[in-house]
Amino acid sequence: MKKLAIIVPALFALGSCTKHIADLNVDPKRPLVVPSYTLFSNAQKNMVDQVTSSSVNFNVFRLIAQQWTETTYTDESNYNITVRTIPDQVWYVFYRDVLKDFEEAKKYIPLDVVDSKGVLNVPQQKNDLAITEVMEVYAYSNLVNTFGNIPYSQAFDSTNFFPKYDDAKTVYADLLKRLDAAIIAMNANPGAGAWDSPFGGADLLFGGDVKKWTKFANTLKLKLGMILADSDPATAKTTVESAIAAGVFTSNTDNAMFQYLKIQPSTNPIWLDLVNSQRNDFVPTSTLINIMKAVSDPRLPAYFTEDPNGGYSGGIPGKGNSYSNFSHVADAIKAPDFPSDLLDYAEVEFLLAEGAERGWNVGGGTAETHYNNGITASIEFWGGDAATYLANPAVAYTTATGTYKQKIGTQKWIALYNRGFDAYIEQRRFDFPVLPAPTKATSAFPARFPYPISEQNLNQTNYDAASAAIGGDKVTTKLFWDKF
Amino acid sequence: MRKFLTLLTVLVLASVLAFPQTKTVTGKITDQNGQPVPFATVRIKGTKQGVSANAEGDYSIKADPSQTLQVSGTGINGQEFVVTSAGVMNLLVTRRNEDLAEVVVTTALGIKRNKNLLPYSAQTVGGDEVTKTRGDNFVSALSGKVSGLEIRQANTLGGSTNVVLRGYKSLVGNNQALFVIDGTPFDNSNTTNTGAVASRGGYDYGSAAADINPDDIESINILKGAAATALYGSRAANGVILITTKKGRKGALGISINSGVSVGKVDKSTFPTYQHTYGANYGSANGYGSADGNFLSFDVNGDGIDDLVTPTTEDASWGAKFDPNLQVYQWDAFDKSSPYFLKSRPWVAAANDPTTYFETPVSFNNSVVVDGGSDKGTFKLGYTKNNDKGILPNSQINKDLINLVTTYKITDRLTAGVNINFSQVRGLGRYGTGYDAKNPMTNFRQWWETNVDIKELKAAYFRTKQNVTWNWSDPASLGFSSPAYWDNPYWDRYENYENDSRSRYYGNVNLNYKITDWLSLMGRVGLDSYDEVQEERVAIGSIASTIGNVSTNPPTSGYSRFNRSFRETNYDLLLNFDKNIGKNFNLKALLGGNVRQTNISSILSVTNGGLVIPGIYALGNSVNPITAPQENDTRVEVDGIFAGATLTWKDMLTLDVTERRDKSSTLPSFNNTYYYPSVAGGFIFSKLLDDQPWLSYGKLRANYAQVGSSAPALSLKDTYVHDQQGAATNFGSAPIFSVPSTKNNANLKPELSKSYELGLEMSFFKSRVGFDVSYYNTKSIDQIVPAAVSNATGYSYEYVNAGDVRNKGVEVSLNAAPVKTRDFSWNLVLNWSKNTSKVISLNNGSKNLLVQDFGIVTSNATVGLPYGTIRGTNFVYTGGKKTVDADGYYEISDNANDVIGNINPDWIGGVSNSFRYKSIALSFLIDVRQGGKVFSLDQYYGLATGLYPETAGNNDLGKPVRNTIADGGGIINPGVTDDGKVNTKRIDISDFFGAYGYYFNPAARYVYDASYIKLRELAITYSLPAKTINKLGPLKGVDFSLVGRNLWIIHKNLPYSDPEEIVSSGNGQGFQGGAYPSVRTMGFNVKVRF
Repeated sequence: MKKLAIIVPALFALGSCTKHIADLNVDPKRPLVVPSYTLFSNAQKNMVDQVTSSSVNFNVFRLIAQQWTETTYTDESNYNITVRTIPDQVWYVFYRDVLKDFEEAKKYIPLDVVDSKGVLNVPQQKNDLAITEVMEVYAYSNLVNTFGNIPYSQAFDSTNFFPKYDDAKTVYADLLKRLDAAIIAMNANPGAGAWDSPFGGADLLFGGDVKKWTKFANTLKLKLGMILADSDPATAKTTVESAIAAGVFTSNTDNAMFQYLKIQPSTNPIWLDLVNSQRNDFVPTSTLINIMKAVSDPRLPAYFTEDPNGGYSGGIPGKGNSYSNFSHVADAIKAPDFPSDLLDYAEVEFLLAEGAERGWNVGGGTAETHYNNGITASIEFWGGDAATYLANPAVAYTTATGTYKQKIGTQKWIALYNRGFDAYIEQRRFDFPVLPAPTKATSAFPARFPYPISEQNLNQTNYDAASAAIGGDKVTTKLFWDKF
Repeated sequence: MRKFLTLLTVLVLASVLAFPQTKTVTGKITDQNGQPVPFATVRIKGTKQGVSANAEGDYSIKADPSQTLQVSGTGINGQEFVVTSAGVMNLLVTRRNEDLAEVVVTTALGIKRNKNLLPYSAQTVGGDEVTKTRGDNFVSALSGKVSGLEIRQANTLGGSTNVVLRGYKSLVGNNQALFVIDGTPFDNSNTTNTGAVASRGGYDYGSAAADINPDDIESINILKGAAATALYGSRAANGVILITTKKGRKGALGISINSGVSVGKVDKSTFPTYQHTYGANYGSANGYGSADGNFLSFDVNGDGIDDLVTPTTEDASWGAKFDPNLQVYQWDAFDKSSPYFLKSRPWVAAANDPTTYFETPVSFNNSVVVDGGSDKGTFKLGYTKNNDKGILPNSQINKDLINLVTTYKITDRLTAGVNINFSQVRGLGRYGTGYDAKNPMTNFRQWWETNVDIKELKAAYFRTKQNVTWNWSDPASLGFSSPAYWDNPYWDRYENYENDSRSRYYGNVNLNYKITDWLSLMGRVGLDSYDEVQEERVAIGSIASTIGNVSTNPPTSGYSRFNRSFRETNYDLLLNFDKNIGKNFNLKALLGGNVRQTNISSILSVTNGGLVIPGIYALGNSVNPITAPQENDTRVEVDGIFAGATLTWKDMLTLDVTERRDKSSTLPSFNNTYYYPSVAGGFIFSKLLDDQPWLSYGKLRANYAQVGSSAPALSLKDTYVHDQQGAATNFGSAPIFSVPSTKNNANLKPELSKSYELGLEMSFFKSRVGFDVSYYNTKSIDQIVPAAVSNATGYSYEYVNAGDVRNKGVEVSLNAAPVKTRDFSWNLVLNWSKNTSKVISLNNGSKNLLVQDFGIVTSNATVGLPYGTIRGTNFVYTGGKKTVDADGYYEISDNANDVIGNINPDWIGGVSNSFRYKSIALSFLIDVRQGGKVFSLDQYYGLATGLYPETAGNNDLGKPVRNTIADGGGIINPGVTDDGKVNTKRIDISDFFGAYGYYFNPAARYVYDASYIKLRELAITYSLPAKTINKLGPLKGVDFSLVGRNLWIIHKNLPYSDPEEIVSSGNGQGFQGGAYPSVRTMGFNVKVRF
């Protein structure tokens, strides 16, 4: 019996219960608090990846804007964006992987004790906040320009599972307001290192150079302001004019280039899709190549490889296209460290040309000079001789066919090569050049993306309201700024 | 908890002191057949003293010589024995009715009880039932044998098995029944990665219950309802599969040897049949170059004339009509090693279609069991070796299972037992699953050229050991260009293979102390511990495919290594009380404690950017420095105390009451304690109808229970991640952290499940016919759910207590012995059950909860509907008829989220028949599932790519459907136009975009009825007759059996596939993509006993 008295408690001593049982529920592998810049870098990288990617699961805008088309699996070139639930992917990347981390970074910026270099200039934390705001505006503008009304005022409230959708116009107005506030915050920042951000190298776009951020913010403002030109000319005019006055990009050296690295997973996603995957899914479209060939565009060799016949040719949009028969995407673009262009000087000049055509104060110069500057900037960026090109009567502003919308629209579309989403915005704004319907189009030209299926599932009441508010959740429903 | 243990110890000591030992009479109660009579009551005449025999018929009572023992019990005639001076008295009693043998079942915590007295539903399956037909996982052998148990299985080698009792109760949590072996919980995790579960490619690593040696199983008890399982605490809500292993028997050394071999063959009704009329491409309209647009056109042989070349990049069969007079350069014309190098061949359908790819699966099973024992102790030592070779080339699973069970009587009152098991499972070349280059079914069912000959691909691989594929990206560049989208399927199997192993120790050490005749104490420490490693490879030269857990930007070569350790320790202390009170009452009570500690840690590391040196599969052989591995480390502890009492009156009325309290580490400290009460009653009304000779037995039972469950580990505090797939890892020198996609919740409370059950058991005519009917109703509330939320919250999922689900249903078991003579008998068992689930509410009034996203369709919990709705694009109906648009195509709903099916069957059932004529026994089992839907990605794509016969052949005009409309081809989609008129618009189907595939059809078109009727098992056994055995010296028995499994699918509605096939175990059911065919197996087995 004594034995038992020993054995039994001994048995249980082995498995003695933990005193503080709740302590077991702490993850030994993941931190509860992190420095803001680690979240900022992540959000920035995720955002640029999404904008740059050519994956048919994430970014099919090159196909919709008919820069590229597909070889075998032609769904997306034919506007089928639902089979791969692309709206869902765009949505979660921007909200969850980009904006949420920016939001979280903003939360930690005032709490940071060191910057990415191990020291901290506390007053300059305001720069970090302003930069993060600018990035958020860029990210949100992508969402609005893809879907229309979106969750905004109630987004990122983890206690509200059903964020309502805000009117796209209202969101736009608030984004412009936030942009203004950020610009003022960056300019007003006093003290030593006023033009530095504690993010430093963790800012993967401008390395913490606040002057560059100020210019970028004004240029973004110019671009967003112009998008409102048809729906709200008054706001557009004041926005555009004040942005120009404050100082926008003035040369290609200002361009917002996100420098990818040679080593995975920091490589350009185009390289992943086109080279690393070893797949041959895409060829350039005949639409783009034929337009460029007709005017002997000097950017042809920078954009494409030669086809087997030594010329340039593209696949027919939406049709099955044999990869080996056509030109391909130029090798330079497929380099793993090819930088991603988020906003550039050529685009600015085209915006100024358009502003001039609308009779606004663009700080001097005619539509023609800005048009010429835009083309020149693009050709210089890609390499080639602009003078001959500009002399071509089909290119020259005075002699080229059509209205200013057709002239600027066509040239801007060419210049926005490899920037599918921006080309898609301009295609909707200018409606030029006229894109042929893909061979087996599943819908008319998409004026927007339908809302994600996940929103229909998870946020149904607000989804229904938003759908009704914009005139139906269809691909053909035009966004508020898309008046023509 | 410590206090409780102290208290328990004190209690134990007190009881010992209160009942000092005196002289006792012990012995065994047996019936006229020499079988032990369990649980009989032994009383001393004229006193209130009495005891119950245990499950083996052993009893022990204090008595003086000349006192009289009265023995009574269910089914036996009451008898009296005068106590002699001897200490040992074996008592022989007679059974009233030999058909009504007492069935002893093992219930919660390993307590053996008389089945007749159980106040809840429990169904027993004998060990021989699950070993009979020798599947690679005994769990699948339960299908059709237990009412209320739904088994779904993957047809892959060693694939997982989904085991759900009485419906899906948890919205997104675990719905698998708990496995308990000899009192110790046994982990049945499936470590298949999330990508594979969503059918995005990977491997199904199977369920860990496959480590159980079926030859060790004495019996399996299935405790379906909460009342039966409430004592198990947290994990009992999904029912328990209680396994009792064989123990050593007293007596001479016994040796039993079992040896079996089985071979299989793919069931062709579960694999595509191909059209043999048209070959490769996506339709001549794509203009591949030749005059008719069907072929590439360039000069291959150098004669200056362009030749016809198969468009090798086109993994579809909408191409040129086969014509032996047409000379075409096929894929092998560009393989320098091929006899057809630069040679054209007649354009004909492949002589060997993908059916040829499958190999004959062979499996060997050998086991030996040695057992023996004396009055002091028993032992059993078993060893089983399994070798399974699958239907895919280069696939095998080997298992070694060793088991040792011993008991030793240290004193008359103290017994020690040890149960140790070691198992090792090694897999090589498990089948790739889902939509992935490593799953050849993706090719064979969805993307294929009907002109490609499998045997030639095989020859090409073995000739070159290179990835010589039918799917050249650029045939014009001679030699090895790279594959466009698909590898040579042999290259894939021999170069891109995985291997894995799991070494597992489990078992327990236990001590039993009999304090008095009616009070005993049991202490037990149980351990379940395993380590597994999974290595995956993609060889240089392959097409990109998933590796490890990486499904975005898959590499074209690489290696991944996953190591995982699982440790679970259970400490149990149990005080058992069993005493007759007065003449008519028996009280069984227990008081106990359980501490469960679980630690799971894992690490997954993958090469980055491919491999440097071919053939070296090591993390160091990475093109780029490897990124941070994914590490996980979770610890969970649940401390429980429990008590239970069973009061029986006159063996007629039973009342069970239990209560358990758990404290779980995974819940917030202010909410971490919760209770599980249960109450159950049974009434054997046949006792009152003793005068009715037709009625052998009748019982009514009713019970109510409430069980709780805690949260998954690490779901309270929010953390940041640096290793989230596709989200974050350092960018150059910039360190990166990210907010995870799931928001945790610091205020979770335990979830709760309330259920009641009513049952009626009756048997008639000397138990020749009987039935058992149960009705149950379970409501699970406050479920802990990582609810999918709008990504606009910044998260994809948030942990909440949300969601009420109700499951109610009826279970019927029927057994009959229509014929029973000395030489011939026929037994029939029927199981039938119907479960109806309904999602009552979700978080904050949400209408839908996403359970699994398969891309094209989703599996959901939708309020007001049964759990498991399949949602996707639908037809548009006009007046109940499918609407066709002006072009003749079906209109597709704007809403990509319509409910287009539900996974739940209307009912499931099984009928097993067994016949015995002298020494020959024949048995067969028919397994039925009626209703339930499955979405087929295979049909969705396969009909689009023109593989199946319905995409060829003639139309209603008697012309080939693939002809142009002008040439009499095309079809008319049955349906109506917007205005309700019958559609008459003929549509062209001369290419991929035609009318059959996904392109112009809603997902609803590919939702099929998943019903089946299967001849699941067939076994013929011949036992050598006793008189022959007697001549063979030491032999005690020899059985020969011929067994078959999955021999015949008698009925199904899903074309070219097995409706039972699943992607993986888990809640995301109702989807097939790259489905494996089912395999008919036939085996021969010899069992020899010495």
